[in-house]
Amino acid sequence: MEHKTVVWEQLGERPVRQRLETGLEVVVLPKPGLKKTYATYATHYGSIDSHFRPPGAQAPVHVPDGIAHFLEHKMYEKPEGRDVFERFAELGAYTNAYTEYTTTTFLFSATSEVEECLKTLLTLVEEPYFTPENVEKEKGIIEQEIRMYWDMPGDRLRSNLMHALYHANPVRLDIAGTVDSIRTITPDDLYLCYETFYHPSNMVIFVAGDVDPAHIIDLIHAWEARRGLAAKAPIERIFPEEPPTVAQKRVEQVMPVALPLWLMGFKDTDTGLTGDALLRRELVMSLFWQMVLGPSSSLFHDLYEAGLINERFSSHYASSKTYGLSMLGGETPDPERLEAEVTPRLLTEPLRLPDLERIKKKELGEFVGLFENLEDLAYAFNAYYFRGVDLARVPELLDDITLEDLEEARQRHCREPQRAVSIVRPPRS
Amino acid sequence: MTWSKGPEHFIGEWRGGLGCYIYPTSRFKTVTMYAAWIRPLSLQDRAYGAVLPQVLKRGTSQWPSRRLMETRLEELYGASFRADVGKLGDKQLMAFHLNVVNGQFLPKKPDTVTAALDFLTDVLDRPRLVDGLFDAAVVEQEKAQVKRQIAALINDKGQYALARLLELVADGAPFGLRKWGTPEEVDAVDAQSLTEFRHRVRQEAPFLFLMVGDVDPDQAARLIQERFGGQRGTLTTVVPYQGQHQGKTVIESESVSQGKLALAYRTGLTAKDADYPALMMYSGILGGFAHSKLFMNVREKASLAYYAYSRLDPAVALMIVGAGIEFSHYEAARQIIEEQVEAMRQGQFTDEEMAFTLKGYVNDILSEEDSPGQLIARQVERQLVGGGLSGQALIDALSRVRREDIERVAQGVHLDTVYFLTNKGEPGHGT
Repeated sequence: MEHKTVVWEQLGERPVRQRLETGLEVVVLPKPGLKKTYATYATHYGSIDSHFRPPGAQAPVHVPDGIAHFLEHKMYEKPEGRDVFERFAELGAYTNAYTEYTTTTFLFSATSEVEECLKTLLTLVEEPYFTPENVEKEKGIIEQEIRMYWDMPGDRLRSNLMHALYHANPVRLDIAGTVDSIRTITPDDLYLCYETFYHPSNMVIFVAGDVDPAHIIDLIHAWEARRGLAAKAPIERIFPEEPPTVAQKRVEQVMPVALPLWLMGFKDTDTGLTGDALLRRELVMSLFWQMVLGPSSSLFHDLYEAGLINERFSSHYASSKTYGLSMLGGETPDPERLEAEVTPRLLTEPLRLPDLERIKKKELGEFVGLFENLEDLAYAFNAYYFRGVDLARVPELLDDITLEDLEEARQRHCREPQRAVSIVRPPRS
Repeated sequence: MTWSKGPEHFIGEWRGGLGCYIYPTSRFKTVTMYAAWIRPLSLQDRAYGAVLPQVLKRGTSQWPSRRLMETRLEELYGASFRADVGKLGDKQLMAFHLNVVNGQFLPKKPDTVTAALDFLTDVLDRPRLVDGLFDAAVVEQEKAQVKRQIAALINDKGQYALARLLELVADGAPFGLRKWGTPEEVDAVDAQSLTEFRHRVRQEAPFLFLMVGDVDPDQAARLIQERFGGQRGTLTTVVPYQGQHQGKTVIESESVSQGKLALAYRTGLTAKDADYPALMMYSGILGGFAHSKLFMNVREKASLAYYAYSRLDPAVALMIVGAGIEFSHYEAARQIIEEQVEAMRQGQFTDEEMAFTLKGYVNDILSEEDSPGQLIARQVERQLVGGGLSGQALIDALSRVRREDIERVAQGVHLDTVYFLTNKGEPGHGT
């Protein structure tokens, strides 16, 4: 089989990629000299995909919140004697999985027997086994996981902000769902979601390590051919109309924290970008936040000198096809004063060329550094892949961004109706 | 400076109180530097050790403000720089971490490594001073930040429970002390005393400098020797735990949604002991991996916990078991954990459990070599424990561990102290 090799000269990287007949994309990045091979098998399916029309079905369905995460847990369940945890342990490999708003990712990391590990990863993702008993048992475990998050102030802070920013988009809900929503999940629900979203045409495999790319791709190709799956019609995902305003301006919670936590968010009103356009917006917003509120900015300086923030104060932007938002915040002794200082200045801080040039260098350095950490690299690759973005485009797009782009982005983004604030406060003593 | 055929391990030695170790390798796209002053953790001056790294981040002679330092780091292609206080056993480490992209992967191939080393040297040797002293206003700001850090420990309930457990085990011994000190101790720091503290530390404290990346080890060592050579105190190793609690149990309550159970076991072994690889196998079988007894029994079989693990403290000779559980499951979870430890004592583990654990460790140890940060952390640990194996030598030693060895070290593992963090209003007892 002929595989396409891309050469990234400056970085010294040569990724190889292949799309199989079923629509499954396989990308292998050879990393000579590294001891570890890191592989992910990801599906374009996350917590927000709870309303959809399965291919071939007449009516759309609603499934319980938290089911994507529940399904991720349950994929590790196999018939007696076919335990994948045990198989990975036997191979000396590490395995894990995580669910996000728009993706679910299964992974292994191994320093030997990569082929066997890969086959185990394929088995893990491709052979569902749900019974009423094993689904019931999982509910106790996931309930504990949900309760663990309740005790994490940073997690509550973000979760509350998402509730405040969004009226309808399911991104407003916690990824794990609620104790009540997961209690209603049945094996049939799980099979329906599995059949719909775990089809190869909705998935991507990424492998990085000291491996022979052609060999890896051929192995996966032969394995997939045996499954005899045909390409499938696209899935129709249904998202509610999201009003341009926020649901709630402000949300507060009392928790045992030492200092108040403050987080402000702005949501995009124009969504739906993919590919270069989406990557470009992410880069523009990232440069904007670093220039206006990064550790070298004058706003950060003033807030730090005033004792309103610490060095971990941060801001960032994240987006997908159906949503885009910025979050900025950290610990502060005085949330009200911090908010009053920050909010007006976001629109008035001068944007200067020398700062832009310097921040671009930083962004480029971080992009290069990504290629030394396989976990981060795989994460970035998958996140971009499902948004139609080619990671290799970063340096070129970065180069083209101008001050005018940043100015335009902030006028569109940092607007009052799109702004909400979340605060976690210590109890009054 | 570049070096393409590294020996792939740390090369170096201690000379005059300076420990300089370089790990040349072409595996990474960045170069990572770590520098630390190492001191005994003590009630007298731990707060100074906590404030000093913070103040050194606030300005050097060449980059005289936090903001200009940040600007410089951005200019160096987003080099990441951290200065913080760390703790390992009874030692306090004032540590400085710097990671920079190797210029060979950047347009026009700038020498980012020398520039980064210059930056770090400036931080360590030429801080911004006003009339020979740290700026009093800066010292006050950073004291306030440190006091907030102290108060913030409660934000992470799992970490909080572990810190409380260690305090209870130590009963006042230095290894139980928190690295930041108390707010009152921080209040006592001022510009004058902090400046004097810095002089003392710089002259006397053993200083460790590590570098990992595609660099020429001789040239790097020479540069570091030139800049930081001198006559400092000799590094002493961490003193292991010697106490004898008999299952002392402390239950405290906070406003939490999930109970945090933490148990400390004495092991009598540190990483430099010949039996330590056997103890690693012991802890790995018990709770080091997803196939381990604790995970399988507490989480999978009994659905009592979201997580349950054991891990070794290589310096203090303790094994810590931790679990996140529902409040009413305290007794059941504790019982299952103690049963698993008892099973280990009686040699109730299979050859398969041994084989899985060995493979799990081999994967961890080899994977560590792909991460500059982990390579550095392990090297720091070896220096402070005074030995211990790493890399292939550790893999070999683990492969030689026999069932009898694990059974032997199991006899030396004793429950010392138990800590349970429950919710206000929950008695911590139940079914």
